[in-house]
Amino acid sequence: MAAGDPVRRIARALPGCLLAATALAMPGALGLVFLYAPDEKVMGAVQRIFYFHVPAAMATFASVYVLLAGAAGYLWTREERWDRLARASTELGLLFCTLVLVTGPIWAKPAWGVWWTWEAKLTTTLILWLLLAASVLVRSYADSRELAARLGAVLGIVAALDVPIIYKAVDWWRGQHPQIFRPGSPAPLAPEMKHTLLVCLLVFALFYVLLLVLRIRLAALEDRVAALLERAGDPEVTAP
Amino acid sequence: MPADASRGPGPLEATWLVAAKDLRIELRTFESSAAMVLFSLSVFLVFGFAFDLATVRELGAAELVPGVLWTAFAFSSVIGSTRAMGLERQRESLTALLLAPVDRSALFAGKALGTLLTLTGLEAVLLPLSAVLFDYDLIGAAPALLPVVALHTIGLAELGILLGAVTTRLRRGESLLSILLLPASVPLFLSAVRCTEAAMRGEGLAAVSSWLLVAAGFDVLYFFVSLLTFELVLED
Repeated sequence: MAAGDPVRRIARALPGCLLAATALAMPGALGLVFLYAPDEKVMGAVQRIFYFHVPAAMATFASVYVLLAGAAGYLWTREERWDRLARASTELGLLFCTLVLVTGPIWAKPAWGVWWTWEAKLTTTLILWLLLAASVLVRSYADSRELAARLGAVLGIVAALDVPIIYKAVDWWRGQHPQIFRPGSPAPLAPEMKHTLLVCLLVFALFYVLLLVLRIRLAALEDRVAALLERAGDPEVTAP
Repeated sequence: MPADASRGPGPLEATWLVAAKDLRIELRTFESSAAMVLFSLSVFLVFGFAFDLATVRELGAAELVPGVLWTAFAFSSVIGSTRAMGLERQRESLTALLLAPVDRSALFAGKALGTLLTLTGLEAVLLPLSAVLFDYDLIGAAPALLPVVALHTIGLAELGILLGAVTTRLRRGESLLSILLLPASVPLFLSAVRCTEAAMRGEGLAAVSSWLLVAAGFDVLYFFVSLLTFELVLED
């Protein structure tokens, strides 16, 4: 943490700047979604959930990659800041994955006539959600912060490596059956739709980085509180 | 202490010693196998009611039995891994194991080998039993079925022991193993069911070579991941 003064000042100002940028950009994106983008011909207004669904899915995958980096970094260096990155990414991944799983069926029902299909993308997302949720549970069950960090990192690596294999396996599994629904077939997007989607992706990226920075900061505070309590000899100290 | 005495056994010997220890305990008590066999029988029973023999005959055993078998094996592997790691919690024997002058990855390999052999014993009982209960030709399917079962059981044992080690570190964590192991091993189950189906249909393994590749890749990947991370899970 022996950074120069200007770097520190930027780091301190970062959450505020990100918050301001997200707060300005989010209503703009909503305006594009509801006012600028045209109605989809077949699905109608409900298709607009796609502008939230796709960016949330992107944020989920970003979280998993960052989780892998944080977990590997922690196991390699044993520095707490890597664990804070992994911890934050596990929770953000769970959050965005939940959003994907909630918005997906709302879109799927009018689009394909069913809430859910056991197709590769959906199944993989569900399994990822289970693994992330289990990781959060394991971390909260651990007796010490250090153990939580180690177990969380190992599970993070297992989960992140598993995702591509699960995807491929489910894809093959389904591929041998007749497919009634063809989700995610790349229909050409109208230019207004493409612009809206791009803006939404950018706004979600901002939102993701903002949440990540805030969660890491919170984790640093949690660690400081725990360290202070430990020094004070509080017997009630448990993992965060 | 002379340098020679502190060296301890080599990695392969250590692996075998750990596995043999677990197998000896298992052969003396049959605690794990008994629970696994009885549990699997209950699975057969439940599925026997869900689709009775007439349905099995109508659809063909190859449609239904692979799913039933791997459901039983999957849940049994949860029992087996919980038990294998639970053994080490009693009387601090994990500490004793960690003090052994061997590479920690040999501890992983040993525990996984012990679980693999216990699961193999279970399968040796369950496969003939399932052939009796669900009426399919086990002898004809056996040449293709045996490598399939072995390949997929290896992956189950590896991941079971790694994740079992994670959950034994938690005071109330044993219930978490199934939440971790079953989703994480989904690719293995899909592959196992497909390959078992092919074996039962007598199609030969060439038809499912890409699935076998997935399973083999899974086994190799998680073998190395476990070798690297097992020590980190166990250390204090």
